[in-house]
Amino acid sequence: MAAPLLELSGITKWYGTTRALGDVDFDLRQGEVHALVGENGAGKSTLLAILSGVVAPDKGTINIDGRAVTINEPSKAQALGISTVFQELSLAGALTVAENVFVGRAPTACGIIRWSELRRRTQQILSAFGIEIDVDRPVDRLPAGTRQLVEIAKALSLDARILLLDEPTSALTSNEVAALFAIIARLKSRGMGIVYVSHHMAEVFRIADRVTVLRDGERMTTRAVAETSIDDVVRAMVGRKLEIFTAEATLVQGPVALAVRGNGAEGKSRHLELEIRFGEVVGLAGLMGSRRSELARSLVGLRQPSGGTAIEVKGRPTRLRGLRDAMARGIAYVPDDRKAEGLFLSMSVTDNFVVTALRSFARLGWIERAAATAAAGRAVERFRIRVPSLEAAAGKLSGGNQQKLMLSKWLASDPAIVVIDEPTRGVDVEAKGEIHKEIRRLAAAGEAVLLISSDLPELFAISDRIVVMREGQIVGDLPTPSATEEIVMALASGTGHKLEGEAA
Amino acid sequence: MSVDEVGRWSSRVGSRVFRRFVETRELMLLVLIVAIIVGMSLASPVFLSLANFHAIAIGMAPTVIIAVGMTVLLVSGGFDLSVGSVLALASTVTALLLLSGASIPLAILGALALGAVIGLANGIVVTRIGVNPLVATLGSMSIARGIALVLTEGFSLINLPPAFGWAGRAEILGVPFLLWTALALVVVFDLAMRHGSFFRQLYYIGSNEKAARLSGLAVDRVRTLAYMLSGLLAALAGVLLASRLMSGTPTAGNALELQVLAAAVIGGASLRGGEGTVLGAFLGVVFVALINNAMTMLAVSIYWQMIVTGAVLVVAVALDMLVRRRDD
Ligand SMILES: Nc1ncnc2c1ncn2[C@@H]1O[C@H](COP(=O)(O)OP(=O)(O)OP(=O)(O)O)[C@@H](O)[C@H]1O
Ligand SMILES: [Mg+2]
Repeated sequence: MAAPLLELSGITKWYGTTRALGDVDFDLRQGEVHALVGENGAGKSTLLAILSGVVAPDKGTINIDGRAVTINEPSKAQALGISTVFQELSLAGALTVAENVFVGRAPTACGIIRWSELRRRTQQILSAFGIEIDVDRPVDRLPAGTRQLVEIAKALSLDARILLLDEPTSALTSNEVAALFAIIARLKSRGMGIVYVSHHMAEVFRIADRVTVLRDGERMTTRAVAETSIDDVVRAMVGRKLEIFTAEATLVQGPVALAVRGNGAEGKSRHLELEIRFGEVVGLAGLMGSRRSELARSLVGLRQPSGGTAIEVKGRPTRLRGLRDAMARGIAYVPDDRKAEGLFLSMSVTDNFVVTALRSFARLGWIERAAATAAAGRAVERFRIRVPSLEAAAGKLSGGNQQKLMLSKWLASDPAIVVIDEPTRGVDVEAKGEIHKEIRRLAAAGEAVLLISSDLPELFAISDRIVVMREGQIVGDLPTPSATEEIVMALASGTGHKLEGEAA
Repeated sequence: MSVDEVGRWSSRVGSRVFRRFVETRELMLLVLIVAIIVGMSLASPVFLSLANFHAIAIGMAPTVIIAVGMTVLLVSGGFDLSVGSVLALASTVTALLLLSGASIPLAILGALALGAVIGLANGIVVTRIGVNPLVATLGSMSIARGIALVLTEGFSLINLPPAFGWAGRAEILGVPFLLWTALALVVVFDLAMRHGSFFRQLYYIGSNEKAARLSGLAVDRVRTLAYMLSGLLAALAGVLLASRLMSGTPTAGNALELQVLAAAVIGGASLRGGEGTVLGAFLGVVFVALINNAMTMLAVSIYWQMIVTGAVLVVAVALDMLVRRRDD
């Protein structure tokens, strides 16, 4: 048998006193999708970082086509034909989409960038996803999902032989996921080897040929997908059988907590009406570009409500003067971009946790460190956040653990109304269940929750109602028991107008 | 444990101790400061004398006071070039008020208020209008210095009431009042930056302004107050300087802003915000003051002193970057 495309053996990596990887073997064949799964902090991203030349392993060897290689620089990885989509987006915010896709490799003539050629090629790669993005837009003005597509386009533009994808679908809705999978299938048939990191077992079982499970930095097992099951893989990940969390519907619902009223644009029948009651979780579904996050931001005072609509808080029309105003009225907002908007990466876990409640941890303006540390410790335990210590910088946690930290700081401040945008992006199965439980607990305690998620099963698991948005309008509002994924997708994509009447 | 493991373990512990040492900037500076004192005591008989330490203390007190404000501002992601000019303006305004017959407390209050107002203006221009702090405070630096020169036509104002000189001359327990004031500010603000719920906000704002806003912190208000504090402390330094020199000097504090910035950065503050301690900045000032004093003692020319100070700054920051890079 020919040597595998890529072969790692005995890879070990320590971060200070934390062992991220211990003696891991891994191999990748031509034309194969090899999934890498494991709990948050299991070492998946570290393995990819080693392969992309971002960090150096302490021990172990890497072979490509049977020849030993050293990957000590990202440029070396590129030269070896390895291209990576990192978990944490790594785009230059102020530059345009096109410049990001072809960073450092823009087509030039006599050293001058050929802008039209750059645009054309970018357009070409993006249209493979069937989406339209203005390639001249600065990426920091794009929503997170679109940025992720740009990131993937960047990796694809490299013409690599080995593609490393670290949770590439965490910010994508099902249409883009389908487009990505079609692309993966095409690349596979051309003989490319793909490493696919994901927490979505369903995706893994749909796309991968083999799956490797990491736990605490060690390889537990490598199996052909056809010969194993989701249950087995999850058991190998967490070390025991996992209870699936199923929500119980709230019995008593209170008065309306938060509402949007009125018509969208003038004259047209653009509806934007939404009510969230105390004691319920409302799930907001929609495709990319359906402007869900925009609606969420206007509900918490971060932007003006769109023309002709008004916000009502606890039954009274309210003009929110900003997030602080909204917070004073008991509204909390958990943003969807943990790195840019959620966390203070250079500050400690404790510091990150207490920021929303600095005052409540202070006596006479003096922060009571012990109380703050104790509270952070409890949250870390409750949400199973894996941290080296409470004093470690948040930037040193694995992606999923950062997400949990960001959520915990908000849920701990006990708001009356919570607007959450993509709460479980990059979170492992077990912790996802914990977060779902936590959100249900909020509702059971009488709080109102608006949940935005691109993960339909998640919406179905914890929402009392599912509201569907398309192009800035609300096109459906269904109690969860009477909704199906098909109905929601049809409403969201606009192919299901006839369903609207009977479902609403 | 195998031999191999023991080796790895001990080298890890060893490098951890080393890293902790280099990371804790205050500790490193303290050791360097002690080293300079010991070395200089051997090299020069005059160095280890009360008179010399007295001179160092009085000379660096205004710088320390300004460095406190600058650190608070740097941590929040801000920056203030106007401090040297505000010091000069405050010293001349105090003198003018005194010469025009105002009482001593009134003259001092007037100068302090002026400093706070300049800081407030800096803060508003930066946070509300969104002008880059470098540009905004470069402007106010020039304006404040210009006003000081216009008010005095470039001359120093002398013949101040003798009682005004108390603060500049007084000693408590053999230590100059100026130094006591500076030390008190260092202690108060260092603790406030570590434990105070108001001042803690500066670290959040400096390390991720957007996230701070979304976490509900009053970002603009806090940042504006940091600018006010910087202006106020610069004015206080100006008043104390006027008291010590018994004159209002419109040319005082020239290029002081750069010295202060250098000291704060040597002490661990970062121009990107989110990092730094008041204690570190204080030690940074002491360190630079001692180096300059040592070079004077060793009869190194003033021009060479500038070169050395610059080199020390770059080496300190470069060392920091190297340690960090290895860490990531
Ligand atoms: N720069 C770093 N410094 C210190 N520790 C780190 C650093 N990066 C990662 N770690 C630690 O290494 C371990 C593995 O992290 P890694 O990011 O590989 O996890 P992961 O499997 O990708 O998790 P996730 O699913 O949450 O993304 C974690 O315990 C993490 O805290
Ligand atoms: Mg990861």
